[in-house]
Amino acid sequence: MGGAEESKSASAESFCPSDAEIQKWMGAAFDVAKDALENGEVPVGCLMVYKDEVVAKGRNEVNETKNATRHAELVALDQLRDWCRRNDLDVTHVCKQTALYVTVEPCIMCAAALCLFNIPVVVYGCRNERFGGCGSVLEVSSAHLPQTGTTFKCVSGHRAEEAVEMLKTFYKQENPNAPKPKTRKE
Amino acid sequence: MEPQTKRWKGLEYDTDSWVVYPVLSDEQSQDVELIEAYAAPILNKKETSRLVRELNSFFPLNGHQHIKRVRACKEKGTPHPLDILVCLTSDAPDMKVVGLNSLLPSDRVKHDGLGEPFLVKIPARPPLTRPQFELASKHWPTSFHEDKQMTVALKGELFSPPEKAAMHMYMRSAVTAAKAAKDRGMEAVGAVVVNPVTEEVIAVGHDCRHDHPLHHAVMVCIDLVARSQGGGCYTFDSHPACQLIPPTSGTHHNEPDAEKSSQPYICTGYDLYVTREPCVMCAMALVHSRIGRVFYGITSADGALGTKFKVHSQKDLNHHFEVYKGILSKQCEGLNASSDRIQSKCLEER
Ligand SMILES: [Zn+2]
Ligand SMILES: [Zn+2]
Repeated sequence: MGGAEESKSASAESFCPSDAEIQKWMGAAFDVAKDALENGEVPVGCLMVYKDEVVAKGRNEVNETKNATRHAELVALDQLRDWCRRNDLDVTHVCKQTALYVTVEPCIMCAAALCLFNIPVVVYGCRNERFGGCGSVLEVSSAHLPQTGTTFKCVSGHRAEEAVEMLKTFYKQENPNAPKPKTRKE
Repeated sequence: MEPQTKRWKGLEYDTDSWVVYPVLSDEQSQDVELIEAYAAPILNKKETSRLVRELNSFFPLNGHQHIKRVRACKEKGTPHPLDILVCLTSDAPDMKVVGLNSLLPSDRVKHDGLGEPFLVKIPARPPLTRPQFELASKHWPTSFHEDKQMTVALKGELFSPPEKAAMHMYMRSAVTAAKAAKDRGMEAVGAVVVNPVTEEVIAVGHDCRHDHPLHHAVMVCIDLVARSQGGGCYTFDSHPACQLIPPTSGTHHNEPDAEKSSQPYICTGYDLYVTREPCVMCAMALVHSRIGRVFYGITSADGALGTKFKVHSQKDLNHHFEVYKGILSKQCEGLNASSDRIQSKCLEER
């Protein structure tokens, strides 16, 4: 107990990316989203940054894995674990100083997963009206859930219109992997 | 009751030891909300139908069609047998003194046979369940379109003895998986995915958060189901109790309909049995996976299917499902108690 412990928690509380960092890393997240859209995938780009280094870069992998939980954020969390293993670093320790940058507000599931990983800050572009877990549908990010992780801070609105436009473009196309509604032919 | 249930073939299970209750939405389970209205005694019964007609046109109960216009006065000794609902206070004109003259213009609603108005409280919304109906009716007569299945479900009597026996069997597999996890020093939570049409178990999983913070039993099962459909992204080979159950051959030949119906798509139409209420992440993962129904044993402190949230009935979400709790509750409770002990032991060791 004492000085070291106190300064550690103080730094965790004050941990928040600067405007310049947000500009830079959100730009990179948007590049991932654009790339996904061009490849017919959900245009959500997400990356995780620890000490000015990208440690994970996720995109939606639902279709290829047939696992509906493989959202960009969960894919990125797996990459973060791999990165920690390769660099022989403690995941819990790294997470406390890692920010997630994502073009769209994390869904309820991903927000809860970020709580479980104790990620302190999430920077996102537009709201997620269909599934959002940082206030749009449910407020998981700040909910008191002591058994299942910690709350995180949200910084929202960066290039929001652009993120919305990409989603609109995507949802105009139909998801080819979903079964066709029964009302159609057959 | 007991001898009858024991007659079921292969039913060595004590299905009377637990009761299954539905986990309803807030709208279905909340208290009856009341709003204020003006009522007035009908002094002359012969005027009733005219008064109803005139009030219905002058003060229609828009959006409150569940409210009956007239009620019988139960109290003995009242000189008049009926009360009529004049209007909601929110619809009433501004008036210094509450009285028939300020409330009703006599050229539109003749005051004949009507006594002086008084305040009453009436239910704001139509009742959705029998308990809500019974509460609402204490305040003012209310119409109720009863969902008979819901009434039976709320009594814990929705499922027949053979159905309960099947549920018992599936949850027992989940408990066995949870015990396997506990034996390996992991959190004692187990889950099973079942296809209720073919009555086949598809996947069994247990909590693996020891290996990966997100590998809760539900998430393990969802990935195993993905694997059964040629996808999946993890292997749980180091945990023999987490497994895919290969389909019994020939089942589909007996069902010509199965051929026609589309390929299985994520967890569409499947049931999940899990020893304790899923957390927010797992609950939403089940929404994304289009699960059919969820059955859990006991609630959990941060649970998202009833305790902290009701993700299965959350407005704005594109998929909803039924949730039932209480299945094998004692056995599930036992798991929980011992895993708490393991947890506190771990904390002490830190
Ligand atoms: Zn998500
Ligand atoms: Zn969970």
